[in-house]
Amino acid sequence: MTQQTAILKKPSGAAQKQGAPASVGAARFFTIAGRAIMWIFLLVVGALTLFPILMTIVGSLMTNSELMSGGNILPKTWQFHNYADAWQQSNFARYTWNSLFISIVSMVGTLLVAAAAAYVVDRRSFPGKSLYVGLQASTMFISMGAIVLRPQFDLMVAVGLNSSLWGVILILMSAHASTFFILLGFFKSIPRELDEAAMIDGSGFIRSFYRIILPLLAPGLGVSGLFAFRHAWNEYILPLVFTMTDPKLQTLTVGLANLRYGSSAAMQTNLMMAGACLSILPMLIVYALANKSFMQATAGSVKG
Amino acid sequence: MTRWTRLWENSLLLFPSIALTLALGIYPLLWVLRYMFYDYPGYGQEMFVGLDNFRRLLRDSAFWASVRNTFVFAGGKLLITIPLSLILAVMLNGKLRGRHFMRAVFFMPTVISTAVISVVFYLIFNSYNGMVNQLLMKLGLLGGPFEWLGPDHAMMTVVIAAAWGAVGNYMLLFIAGLQSIPQDLYESASIDGAGPAQRFWRITVPMLGPVMQIIIMLAIIASFKGYESIMVMTEGGPIGRTDVMYLYLYKLLFPLATSGTPADQQFGYGSAVGFATALIVGAITLLYYWLSRKMNKVY
Amino acid sequence: MGLALTAVLAVGTAACGNSSNNNNGASQSAPASGSASASAPASAPASKAATGEKKVISYWTDDRHDQEYIKSLIDRFNADNADNIEVELTVLSENFNQSVDIAFSSNKAPDLLRLKSANTGTFVKKGYLAPIDAYVTDEMKTKFSSLLLDGVNRFDGKLYSLPNSGQTLRLVYNKDLFDKAGIAKPPESLQEMVDDAKKITEAGKSEGAYGFALNFKNPKSAFDRSIREILSLSGYQGLGYDLKTAQFDFGPYGQVIDYFKQMWEDGSILPGAETLDIDPMRAQFAAGKIGMYLSFSTEPGVYKDQFPTTINWGGALAPTIDGKRKGTSEIVSAGTWLGISDKSKNKDAAWKFMAYLYRDEVLTAYHEQGFGISVVPSIAEKAKNPDVPGMEGFLVGDSDSIWPVSPTVTPEGANYGDAFFKYMLSGGDLAKVTADLNARYNDALAKAVEKGEVKAEADPSFDPSKLKTNS
Repeated sequence: MTQQTAILKKPSGAAQKQGAPASVGAARFFTIAGRAIMWIFLLVVGALTLFPILMTIVGSLMTNSELMSGGNILPKTWQFHNYADAWQQSNFARYTWNSLFISIVSMVGTLLVAAAAAYVVDRRSFPGKSLYVGLQASTMFISMGAIVLRPQFDLMVAVGLNSSLWGVILILMSAHASTFFILLGFFKSIPRELDEAAMIDGSGFIRSFYRIILPLLAPGLGVSGLFAFRHAWNEYILPLVFTMTDPKLQTLTVGLANLRYGSSAAMQTNLMMAGACLSILPMLIVYALANKSFMQATAGSVKG
Repeated sequence: MTRWTRLWENSLLLFPSIALTLALGIYPLLWVLRYMFYDYPGYGQEMFVGLDNFRRLLRDSAFWASVRNTFVFAGGKLLITIPLSLILAVMLNGKLRGRHFMRAVFFMPTVISTAVISVVFYLIFNSYNGMVNQLLMKLGLLGGPFEWLGPDHAMMTVVIAAAWGAVGNYMLLFIAGLQSIPQDLYESASIDGAGPAQRFWRITVPMLGPVMQIIIMLAIIASFKGYESIMVMTEGGPIGRTDVMYLYLYKLLFPLATSGTPADQQFGYGSAVGFATALIVGAITLLYYWLSRKMNKVY
Repeated sequence: MGLALTAVLAVGTAACGNSSNNNNGASQSAPASGSASASAPASAPASKAATGEKKVISYWTDDRHDQEYIKSLIDRFNADNADNIEVELTVLSENFNQSVDIAFSSNKAPDLLRLKSANTGTFVKKGYLAPIDAYVTDEMKTKFSSLLLDGVNRFDGKLYSLPNSGQTLRLVYNKDLFDKAGIAKPPESLQEMVDDAKKITEAGKSEGAYGFALNFKNPKSAFDRSIREILSLSGYQGLGYDLKTAQFDFGPYGQVIDYFKQMWEDGSILPGAETLDIDPMRAQFAAGKIGMYLSFSTEPGVYKDQFPTTINWGGALAPTIDGKRKGTSEIVSAGTWLGISDKSKNKDAAWKFMAYLYRDEVLTAYHEQGFGISVVPSIAEKAKNPDVPGMEGFLVGDSDSIWPVSPTVTPEGANYGDAFFKYMLSGGDLAKVTADLNARYNDALAKAVEKGEVKAEADPSFDPSKLKTNS
């Protein structure tokens, strides 16, 4: 508990440093002191943030019994072959492919569906517009939990999509309300004159959508795309239920969590952790690539 | 451009969204609204039972305990997440050297699957050999093992784990909001002699209002809905102390199998529970929206 | 609803056959078979002539411990069989029962299923299984004759599966810790168990060793491997069902719980046991931190492969409530192994593989390699003891037998595991807890009987001391 209270107490300390007196010399002192406090705070919280991740990395290099019986902070012997084992035993390549597949396809699909809808809603008035917007809002706020999986599954069975990942993708795409609202915000910052001018030049409404609007929407698409990608990448319950009958379709999250269990044999937590470390990599790469434009873009999204 | 062209274009662009929403958002809703009046184990005949499921809901003490737990869980998570992520955002929004690295550090937890990292949290916090206990005992801060996951403290522990995974996300959203505040406001305030504290309270807080309103609302919904981490760490135990309502619902539909005997899936009663949880979360969201309406007006 | 859905499914899969996973090869290939699926059960006996057309049989199991062995058998079968049958193995994880449910509701059912006593009745009730009476040869009938039991593998006079091996339940104990605490032999009564746990804790606490533990993260799972055994050896059905009256009576269960509660209050149970999973618990046992626990005969295999240990440990018969054995130790999951799906289009081919696995050669090897303890008399007689350290304590002996099954019901509210565990930790009125459980379970039982889902017939003459033991 002590560490946690430390976090909770620090903020007030950090806030106080802002109240530096006006006198210049003292102000200087307080700025330096404030800076020091701020860095201590950042480093403590940063260490607490990294601790479980470091533990995952360390755990991924232990033998299973060493990990489960605890007692060691660092492995007695470093088991680098855990990574090879995880890759082979758990069908890791296939899981990764499945995860990439649903993440990329559902991201692109969500963006297209939401952008097209936001375009019409922002640029045109049509009967039932507020009904439509209300519908989108309601899907964001009404959450019935796991119960909706059953009707969704039945529906996929009815159209024959239950034995592929397309069912999962469509369900992920159907939850595009938040993307819709984020993009709606971005549309407000794209001047209407641009697409109106294009239309006068003979470009149709739909044509100017993908010729003019989509490129201008890039920052908004970037950030909401990242969120959509992450959402699909980390989704657990949905692919768990949909791929129960077919291990070949499992995603990384499901495959990894399953590594814990064997019906009769013991769970292999060390391999699971190795898999977890591997599974973070793609997201970190995406983040590193997107980092710079990401912040500015996120700014735009929240403003909307 | 004729009316028909317009109609055609509108329909074409809106169709995918409407079709998906109706089929996978609204239809399941109607399904739930129907089945909450039925007894349906997922096979064989469904049986109309009228309001039986709701009568059962009213006397189902485990459900109401899970509702109470949900409020504790969501409240605790928000109390840690929101202030902490705001403070981090304010610190890392400025010109601080190393801010990109620190942001990346705090963002890390949000890219790891909750289901996977929760196993790690279990290993960190368990009382017989968890790393936290070992560390604290070595430092002499603890005399004996502390029951992080025992009946009295498990809730606190799952809250910590959940907050850990969420702070980075809201920090990012807050930074984005902060960056949308025009810089010249701060500059003119500095010229007027306002110190950092005054600038924070007079500019940052009010200007951030509308964004904050949305972010907190998202955080509230997410806190009420989240149950994956609990499912993996404690399965709602010990003795139901960390059972939250969406986990309780999940267990009615997909009884956690460990001892072989398959319990029936309870889709009828599950529908009633799903309906009730949606009402509760919906009411909370509306209440918050009404209470926070002032935040939006400061802009 | 069910019917309409199946119709839609048949059309749906036929139409979209291409979009489904191609990696399953021909398992669901022929679009034409969509319509045939509805009439498949009726047309089963009319075997299709072996025209060289390849038949893919999918086999689903949740057994992982034997998968290398089963895989090798499948490879041999696929290479050798003359009927061009190819078996595909799918090993599912802890969601086996749900996966089966989902598969049957979406027309993706496998042809062959691993059955356990716990789920066979439910699967029959849901119409998942096809009777195998027409296939079973006379020779097989003799071989398994003593083990064809109503409610286990036979339902309404129809046979659905055949036995192979079972799991025995034992007290698993650390001999070193017992020695250190000056205890000569494993406890025979619950009072002894409580005392021993206390002694072991007193002697070992400074080194982090405690007397007792169970995987209480899932209380039902913990009790179903411990109290179940204590009760059946004491003469009561292990899951709270009274075979004489065909009613649930958790009275005896409550008696056992009070001793568990005592161990909890004594501090004799490993700290943190309330959120312990089975594997972390085994790891702690292997590290010498746990004096005793109760579990299945899977344990020796786990300590051989997963958690190699240097401690001296063994399996012994569980204690009884008062030290007197008035019943027998239940061999669990013993009456069933494989079953054929009612939805299978290739039941004949499925049976051919099933018969391949039920050969003496395989059953014997299964026992000798320690994957399960054989319950088939002709096999158990001549098979060598499994070559797994510690297995000797789990072998079927004079006190082991198969028990009649208890009906599976889903009550409103908390199951007995959660309810009793709550009492164990936080106290309360035991009589009230028991009465409440009796009421809810019997209520659910009555409803299930009324719906025709389960049978509950009282057997006033049932005598636990007269159960047929195996040797």
